[in-house]
Amino acid sequence: MKRRQFIKAAGTAVSVPLLLNGMRVSAMPRSFLSRIVNPESDRVLVLIQLNGGNDGLNMVVPLDQYDNLANVRGNIILPQNSILSVEDTVGLHPVMTGVRALYDEGKMGIVQSVGYPNQNRSHFRSTDIWTSGSPAEEVWTTGWLGRYFETLHPSYPDNYPNGDYPDPFAITMGSIVSETCQGTASNFSLTLNDPFSLAPLTEGSPSDLPDTPYGEELAFLRLSISQANQYGDVITDAAQNGSNLAAYPADNRLAQQLKNVALLISGGLQTKVYVVSLGGFDTHANQVQQGDVTLGDHAELLQQLSNAVAAFQSDLQMLGLDQRVVCMTFSEFGRRIRSNDSFGTDHGTAAPLLLFGSCVNPSILGDTPEISADVSIDEGVPMQHDFRDVYGSLLMDWFEVGEDDVRSLLYNDFQYLPLLLNCTATSTRPEPKEEAVVMNAYPNPCSNWTTISFTAADEWAKLSLFDSIGNELRVVTNQRLSAGEHKIQVDMHGLPPGTYFFRLQLQGRQKTKRVVKN
Amino acid sequence: MDRRATLAALFGAKRSRANTTVQPRTTALTPSLGLTSGLEPYAGPWGYEEAAHLLRRSMFGPSRSQIEQAVSQGLYPTLALLFTDTPPPAPPVNPSNTTDPNVPIGETWIDAPYSTEVNLTPYRAQSLRAWTMELLRTEGVSLREKLTLFWHNHFGVNTIQDPKFLYRHSILMRSFAWGNFRELIKQVTIDPAMLRFLNGNQNTATAPNENYARELLELFTIGKGPLAGPGDYTNYTEQDVVQMARVLTGWRDRGFNTTNPDQDVTSVFLAGQHDNGVKQLSARFNNVQISNLGNQEYAQLIDIIFQQDEVARFISRKLYRWFVYYIIDDNAEANVIQPMAQLLIENDYEIKPVLEALLGSAHFYDILNVGPMIKNPIDFSISALKQLAVAFPTTLAQRYTLHFRIFQAIIPMEMEYYNPPSVAGWKAYYQEPQYYRTWINATTLQARMGYTNLLSGDGVGQGQLRAKVDPLTAISLLPDPYEPNAVIEGFAQLLFPQPITDSQKTALKEVLLPGLPDYVWTAEYAAYEANPDDPTYADAVEVKIRSLLQVMLSMPEFYLS
Repeated sequence: MKRRQFIKAAGTAVSVPLLLNGMRVSAMPRSFLSRIVNPESDRVLVLIQLNGGNDGLNMVVPLDQYDNLANVRGNIILPQNSILSVEDTVGLHPVMTGVRALYDEGKMGIVQSVGYPNQNRSHFRSTDIWTSGSPAEEVWTTGWLGRYFETLHPSYPDNYPNGDYPDPFAITMGSIVSETCQGTASNFSLTLNDPFSLAPLTEGSPSDLPDTPYGEELAFLRLSISQANQYGDVITDAAQNGSNLAAYPADNRLAQQLKNVALLISGGLQTKVYVVSLGGFDTHANQVQQGDVTLGDHAELLQQLSNAVAAFQSDLQMLGLDQRVVCMTFSEFGRRIRSNDSFGTDHGTAAPLLLFGSCVNPSILGDTPEISADVSIDEGVPMQHDFRDVYGSLLMDWFEVGEDDVRSLLYNDFQYLPLLLNCTATSTRPEPKEEAVVMNAYPNPCSNWTTISFTAADEWAKLSLFDSIGNELRVVTNQRLSAGEHKIQVDMHGLPPGTYFFRLQLQGRQKTKRVVKN
Repeated sequence: MDRRATLAALFGAKRSRANTTVQPRTTALTPSLGLTSGLEPYAGPWGYEEAAHLLRRSMFGPSRSQIEQAVSQGLYPTLALLFTDTPPPAPPVNPSNTTDPNVPIGETWIDAPYSTEVNLTPYRAQSLRAWTMELLRTEGVSLREKLTLFWHNHFGVNTIQDPKFLYRHSILMRSFAWGNFRELIKQVTIDPAMLRFLNGNQNTATAPNENYARELLELFTIGKGPLAGPGDYTNYTEQDVVQMARVLTGWRDRGFNTTNPDQDVTSVFLAGQHDNGVKQLSARFNNVQISNLGNQEYAQLIDIIFQQDEVARFISRKLYRWFVYYIIDDNAEANVIQPMAQLLIENDYEIKPVLEALLGSAHFYDILNVGPMIKNPIDFSISALKQLAVAFPTTLAQRYTLHFRIFQAIIPMEMEYYNPPSVAGWKAYYQEPQYYRTWINATTLQARMGYTNLLSGDGVGQGQLRAKVDPLTAISLLPDPYEPNAVIEGFAQLLFPQPITDSQKTALKEVLLPGLPDYVWTAEYAAYEANPDDPTYADAVEVKIRSLLQVMLSMPEFYLS
C-alpha cells in the first residue's frame, strides 16, 4: 500500500511565488535536493517551543514606543523603570536578567517581528505553519527539519538506526514527537523524558503483514518498538558517559529538559536537533497580576525561560561545548497590541524570536515595532521578518545547506539573515549591507493615495501591502531598482478605512511602515 | 527455543516499504483505501469477529461473554442495547476523607461547599477521577462512556481546578452522549467550566474576549475551511469571531471553589456586561444581525451556526475518526460522511440515528476497517482490565484508591482524563499526518509495556492494593481451557482484532509449553481442576498462563482495535 497523505491542500488565494531575482516560477521543484554540504558536522540546534502564542511586546519591550504602548495596554504594561534596557530602544522583561547577561556577553540575539504573510490566528493551524514551514495558504504534512533530514536520509526509517547512523537524528524532550521533524514516512525525532530509565521493550523478528490499514499500523508499531530499543541503548550510554557541570534551577520544566540535552551532548550523542518546550503562553487572562504587573503568568514563564537558558549556556561553556550549540525560540504567534480587560492579550501576529549561543550574532535584527496611540482592537505587531528566512539562514550557516536547497526546502523568496557570526567557518555568505533602510509614507494618514519613499542600492525590491491582522493584500512592486531614492505611489482606493502596513524587502533587509487610511 | 528467539517469532520487525521516495509535499492529497462500501446497512455474516469489532469500538474492552451475547442476539438488538438509556451513574463520594466538615464518608461532595479551614480540593479531585475510571471499568454494553470521552476530546476542557465544575461538565456531556448536538453546544456555551476554561467569564461589552467564540467556530461546530481571502476561512471570517464574542458577552460562572453553602455551581447572565449593540455577521452567515435578545442571544447564535450544513459534515468527520479510522478518503467522504451529514440534518442534529447508521453500516464492517485503530491509552488500559476480568476490591476506600492508581498509571502514556493537552483535544484525533500514531513513541511505549507487565505480573498499584491479572480466572472464562491451542486461540480472539499467524501461535505455545507436547497442558490443567486448593497444581498452571498473557499484552496486536 502506498504511503498516504491525508489532507487536501487548502487555499484558493495562493499567490504565485516570485523569486527576488525576478524569475517567475509556478511550482517549487520537488526533485531530490542536489547536495548538502557536510552533513557530518557536529553542530546541534536546540529549538525552544513556547506553546500558546508568546506576547513579544511584554518580553522585548520597544522602549521608543513606550508612551503609546502604555496608552493601549495600560492595565498590563510594565513600569518603565522596571524594564531591563539592552539598547536605547529595546528592553527586556525585568525577570529576564539571565538573558540580559547573555546579551551583554555577546551570546544572545533578537530577531524582531518574525511572522509570515496572511497570519492565521488559530493556535493549531499557526503551529502547523511554524512547524512545517509552509506558506499560510498551503497545508504541508512534513516539518521543516524533517524535510532537511529526508534529503540526507531518504529511506528513513527503514534500516535505521544502522552502523553509520547509530544515533537518533532528533530528540523531542517529552512524550510527543515534534512536528518540525516530521518526514514523509516517519518522524525523525525520538521522544525522551528520562534518559536513565529506558527499559528494553519486548520485540521480535519478521512476520508477514497483510497489505491493509491493519497491516500498515501493525508495521508502524513493530518498527517503533524496534527503533525505541536500538536508540534507547545509545541514549542510555550517552547519559551514563555524559555530565552536567552547572547547576540548573529546580522546579523549572524547561531547565530540566535542557539539562538532559547538555548531558546527552556531553555524552557523545550525535543527535543534531533537540526540541524542548514550555507551555502556557496563551495568556488571554491574568497575563499579569493585578496590583503588580511585573508578576503574573507571563512573568513566571519568561523567568523560567531566562533562568533555564542561562544555566544551559553556562553548562555548555564549562563543558567546552558552547561552540557546537545554538538555541532558538519560537511560538505560533504574537499577541494583540491592545490588552483586554482580563489583564491579558488575545491572539495576534508577529513577535520577536530569541537566539542563544556562543556563535550567534549578538545584536538586534530589525526595528522596534511601530505602536500607534490609536491602534485598533484587532491589530497585531506586523511582520518584518519571515520565519522561513530565519529557518533558512540557520540551515545555511549552521548545517551548511546551500542556498538553492534552502529555497527548495522552504520557499523561493528566501532572504538570508545574518543570525550567526562569532564562530569561525560558519557564515557562508558575505556580510550583509549594514546601512539601515529608511522608508516613509506620505500622506499618512491618507485617503485614496499614498506615496512610499525609500532608498535602494542597485538591487531587487519587493513592496507588499498588509492589513491590520497580517493578511498580505497586494504586492505593490517586485522588481530590480537602480541605486538612489525611489517613490512609489500606491492606490488605496477600495480599501476600507483602517490600519495598513507596507513591508519592504530589499536584498537582506526588511522594513515595515504603518499607514492609516481615513 | 530460547525466550529471545521465541519472542522474535512473535513480533515482526522488518517490513518492505514499496514507496520510500520523497513525496511532493504541496499537492492535493486524496489517498484511497480501496473501499467502495458506504453507509448502507451491513448485510454480511454476523459472527464473533463482527460482534467483537462493534463492541471494541463502542466500549472499553468487551468481555468474551459480552461478545458471545452480541453474536447470539444479532446486530440490531446489540445496537439497541448499546443505545439503551440507562439511569445516570450515582455521583462520586467521599471515600475516606475525615477532614471534610461538610461531607461524611460515603456521601457525595458534588453540591457541598469547600472549607476555609482545610483544602478539600485534592481529595475531591482524586475522588472524581477514581469514580470516572470505575465507570469505564464497570460499564456494561453501552456507548455512553465512549461518547462521553468523545465529547471530552471534542471540547478539550482542562486546567479547571474545581472538581465540582468538572463533575458538572462531565455529567453534561454524559447526559448528551447520543443526544442533540445543537442543544449540547448551547448548554456547553454557558457551562460554568467552559466559561472559565475559555475566558467567557471575562468577556465584557467594553473589552470582548474572543477565546470562546473562535473555538466555538473552529473546533466545536463548523470547523475552519481553506483560506478564501483576508481573514476569511470559507466557513467563517475573523469578523464573525469578533461579532460572536460580542454576542456572548455577559455570562459569568458562579460558585467556583466556594465555601458558601448557599452558592450553587451555576451560570448567570449579567445584563450590564452584555453588549447591547447590533452584531453583524459576515456573508458566510448570510449577513445576519443579532441584537436585543439579551440572555437568549447565545442560543440564537448557535441556531444560526447550525443552519450551515457544514456543521453536520464537520461533526460527522469527527465521529468517523473516533469510531472508524483516521483516513477519510474520497469514498468515505462521498459515501459515509455526506450521508451521515444528511441524516444529521434530517434528524435535527440528533446524534443517535447517525451513529446507529454508522455502526450498522457496510463500511464499518468492511474488513479494512477492522483493527487499524491504535487504541488510545485509556482504551488500552481499561480494556486490559476488563477483558482479563481483573478483580477490584469492594470496600469503598480501597475501590477509590485503586481506581485512582489506574488513572495515574495511564498518565505517562500521554492521556489524562480531565486534562486533554489543549482545547483541540488529543492530537491523535486531529494532527496530520500521524493521527492515532501520535500515541506511540519511545516514551509512551515504555509506559504501555510497563503497565501491562505490571498488570500481568506484580500488579498496578502500591503495597498490597494492586490491580493484577488472576491467570486462573482469566483462563476459566475461555471455552476450552484444557487444550493449549484453544487457550491461545481464545485469548487471541479476545485481545486481538484480527487473527494472528500460525507462526505466532506456535511461538506463543512455546511460551505456554516450552518444548512439551500438547497433552502435558491438558493433564496439568485437569490436575489443577481436580485439586483446586492444592497450590502445587495451581501454581504450575498459573505461572504458565501469566507468562503467556504478559507476552500477548505486549504484542502490538493488542494495541490495535
